Amino acid sequence: MEQWQYALVMMIGYLIIALGIGILSGRGRDSSSLTEFTVAGRNLNLVVTWFLMGGAIFSAFAFLGAPGWAFSRGAPALYILAYLVFGIVPWYFTGPKIGKIGRKLGLYSLVGFLKGRFESKPLSMLIGIISFFAFIQYLAIQIKGMAIIFDVMTEGRIPFWLGALIAYAIVVIYVATGGLRAAAWSDVFQGFLMIVVSWTVGIMVVNKLHGSTKSMFQNIIDNKPGFLEIGVEGSTMSPMAFTTLIIVSGLGLLMWPHLFSRSYSSGPKAIKQTVLAYPIFTLFLLPLLLVGFAGVSVISVNELGDPDQILPYLVTTVLDLPGVVYGLVGAAALAAAMSSSDVITHSASLEFTDGVIRNIKKDLSDKTVLLIMRTAVVMVGALAYFVAVFGGQGLIALLAGAYGSIVQFAPGVYSALYWKRATAPGVIAGLLTGFVVNIYFQMIQTNTPLDIHAGILGLIANIAVFVAVSYATMPQKVDTVEQYVNIDEMEEA
Amino acid sequence: MSKKKFQRAYWISMLFLLLPFIFPLFEVANRPIPLILGLPFSLFWVCLWTFITFFVILIFYFIDPERRKGR
Repeated sequence: MEQWQYALVMMIGYLIIALGIGILSGRGRDSSSLTEFTVAGRNLNLVVTWFLMGGAIFSAFAFLGAPGWAFSRGAPALYILAYLVFGIVPWYFTGPKIGKIGRKLGLYSLVGFLKGRFESKPLSMLIGIISFFAFIQYLAIQIKGMAIIFDVMTEGRIPFWLGALIAYAIVVIYVATGGLRAAAWSDVFQGFLMIVVSWTVGIMVVNKLHGSTKSMFQNIIDNKPGFLEIGVEGSTMSPMAFTTLIIVSGLGLLMWPHLFSRSYSSGPKAIKQTVLAYPIFTLFLLPLLLVGFAGVSVISVNELGDPDQILPYLVTTVLDLPGVVYGLVGAAALAAAMSSSDVITHSASLEFTDGVIRNIKKDLSDKTVLLIMRTAVVMVGALAYFVAVFGGQGLIALLAGAYGSIVQFAPGVYSALYWKRATAPGVIAGLLTGFVVNIYFQMIQTNTPLDIHAGILGLIANIAVFVAVSYATMPQKVDTVEQYVNIDEMEEA
Repeated sequence: MSKKKFQRAYWISMLFLLLPFIFPLFEVANRPIPLILGLPFSLFWVCLWTFITFFVILIFYFIDPERRKGR
């Protein structure tokens, strides 16, 4: 058998297993229950919570983007480790608190959370629409990742559209049928596979090309001075850009609705233990960064074209792997893309249903809502697929603005939990301001003052407007506010 | 320790633990040499502080007043 045949057989085998786990995990559960579909009955355990949150790290970005950063940009790639550590830290308190509020009011989405506190229809629609577009963009990247992997590992025998279709259709099938629990158990399987394979490949690539990491880095230091530093001659990023990138990504992490909503599906103990274990989880990315650094002396960025292809490029052309390992790499890379797309597809359908459909049409029965959500999973899937396969780059670029906009949710979310004086007009005005400022600096005026990240500039404008407008408008009803800000005290009393 | 004090201590510790990862404090580690454990100094520094953050959260987890109530 040739290499590509091993890869094809193992990737298909993997897809069958993933589909099987996804479908079987929901057996014996009530498939007509809205709570089961949206938050898996609110009782996911530690291991599952860990991998669900970890799936966010081990996405297509981890296998393609992270090595790509190390390969093309050098030291600034360290931001990835730094932001993941700090992104999760606030969850220790916000997670259990959001979970409590959710249990009391029967919530399962970010939109629902803000609707309960601010009681504003325009706000929920705004959040629903922004997150929907950000998600489609995010999904398109993952789907492209799956297609690239199929394409490269089978040496061009599976066309782009087909690879994307096969892998993503499986995700859509198990999410639409099994909901969150199916996504969760697939993520556990996919997570194990990814960790084992990334370490194996990372160590093999470095050994084969350079003997040891020491000689690899010494080589980079000698030949590319400044590449492993920030803000000096020869480096690719300024200290301010690096710092604000860490802050904006860290603050944004928990604002992604698919991560935010894990506060509902896991108990306080599982949440706290996940926060505890997360920094260690981020270190699993280390070998993937090493692969990127290993590529520096092998090929130039210009020759490769797209830096994100460095890992598949090295595995297929430089390494002489036995067929089985070669196939495993393909399966693991697919797993990385799929374990993020399943929860995102799931979450996108929830946010859209809660933010848009339920605002247009009230009084829907749980059964109808569930049907709408399942339909939305398929629709979101189809839309993301078409954007990934046929969508012009223009559309992707436009949506890149929405990606940076997720962090603009932060003032609204944190004040819902901790600031009594916040009002709906304040949140809306702040959100819109932040959104516009961010897009302006990301698309039009890309040279930002002091090289500060566009998202941070948006956030500063957002907070200023939010606080000012909140004080200028009538405070909210005390009861509504107490249910959120003082939920702990209310329960103890 | 009361719940309020515990929360405040946690937030403040985390804020301080963020500093080594960002400028200006990261300037200390913004160099590739010496190579430690085969890693550039900056990469080693980030891993080191990731471990320290882990241990600090571990301590907080054990002194968490909620934990004694079995939550």
